[in-house]
Amino acid sequence: MDALVQELKEKVIQALNLEDMTPDDIDANAPLFGEGLGLDSIDALELIVLMERNYGIKLKNANEGKDIFKSIQVMADYISKNRTK
Amino acid sequence: MSVYIDKAAQISIQQPLSNEWFTNPLSPAGRLCKFVRPDFKQYLSPAVSRRMGTALKCTLSSALACVPEEKRSLLDGILTGTGLGSIENTENFLLAMLEGEDGLSPSNFMQSTHNTLGSQVAIAFNCHGYNITYAHRGTSFDSALMNAVIKFRLNEFKSALVNGVDEMTEKYFQLFDQIGYWKDRDVTIEDVRKATSPGTFAGENSVSLLLTDQPSDQPLCELCDTQLLYRPSDQRLKACVEKMSLEHNVSRIDAVVIGNNGDKENDEEYRRLVQLLAPDATQIIYKHLFGESFTMSGIGVYVGATCLKEKSVPSHITIDNKALENPQTILVLNHFKQLDYSITLLKSC
Repeated sequence: MDALVQELKEKVIQALNLEDMTPDDIDANAPLFGEGLGLDSIDALELIVLMERNYGIKLKNANEGKDIFKSIQVMADYISKNRTK
Repeated sequence: MSVYIDKAAQISIQQPLSNEWFTNPLSPAGRLCKFVRPDFKQYLSPAVSRRMGTALKCTLSSALACVPEEKRSLLDGILTGTGLGSIENTENFLLAMLEGEDGLSPSNFMQSTHNTLGSQVAIAFNCHGYNITYAHRGTSFDSALMNAVIKFRLNEFKSALVNGVDEMTEKYFQLFDQIGYWKDRDVTIEDVRKATSPGTFAGENSVSLLLTDQPSDQPLCELCDTQLLYRPSDQRLKACVEKMSLEHNVSRIDAVVIGNNGDKENDEEYRRLVQLLAPDATQIIYKHLFGESFTMSGIGVYVGATCLKEKSVPSHITIDNKALENPQTILVLNHFKQLDYSITLLKSC
């Protein structure tokens, strides 16, 4: 799981172009939206694309994102249970 | 109704957001010269700029550097000329489509249109005025400038921002290369000056001009008029310059800015134009320092305006390497493939 968390941090930094951040700067349990990384709705779309492209997970209901994108750790848990690639 | 170029800012292959090129220019190296990037963080927060492509970052930075904060939301118009728009984002989006149409990144798509540039400036400025983008290849900037001048003449504008922006990607460069648009080897300034062979070299530019109907303390110059002409006869070209000169009490053209870019055919046309329109004027060149792009004529207007403000034309931008002191009137000429021509008359304040 730790490896997936680390990989996810790297992919999020790349996908969202968080130029000045390193994986160590991201607290795996901090909220992604609002506080924490302060992401917005466009970032949510980028995260949906990231999950689909890298892990073969297609969110059928956009509202699911609210729970899945709570933090990197929550995302990693969801991916490990639902990934198809 | 007078129109003034009140302020100007450029990001290009010269030192960005400065007039360093006027005294100490950088020498371009290679066939494709990319933006010399400013410290974007001075103008854009990382949170704001992280989704932006290079052209958009440069457009916003030059616009923010050009227009004082208190004037931004009061602008009557933001007019942008761009031949290729946000081509970097466009390519990223299309390349992702080739990999599969599922799961396309929204950011590249959102910022892949030409009018993203001007609209993002309006958002940054909180400006709800006229906003238009011209994507007319080699006359994109000239069209935007002429639109602005018409709006001033109609008393619809008191102030406006005119941008000329183009970036060049490796892929687009290669496409142009296949039709012989570029020289076949790395160029030097002297190669461009001599123009003994076909082709030029690529530059990138984001130039922003703040136009006003009232000059501030230190305007660059008066923008007397600008005209676009399609396949004009010599007679029509001459008549256009004579009419502009007459209307603005200009009895003599001191210098003419021409777009010599090292391509033999292109430069021969400028030689012909100068002989026709202002044979005794000092000839100012700039593309040997800035390269070529669809909107590089915006840099031509900026160069002419800067010479009027500085009251001198340095020798390194004249065709005969002779400096000119205290120019009062400058004509800026542009042609695109000998089809579309623009003529802009500038006068010192």
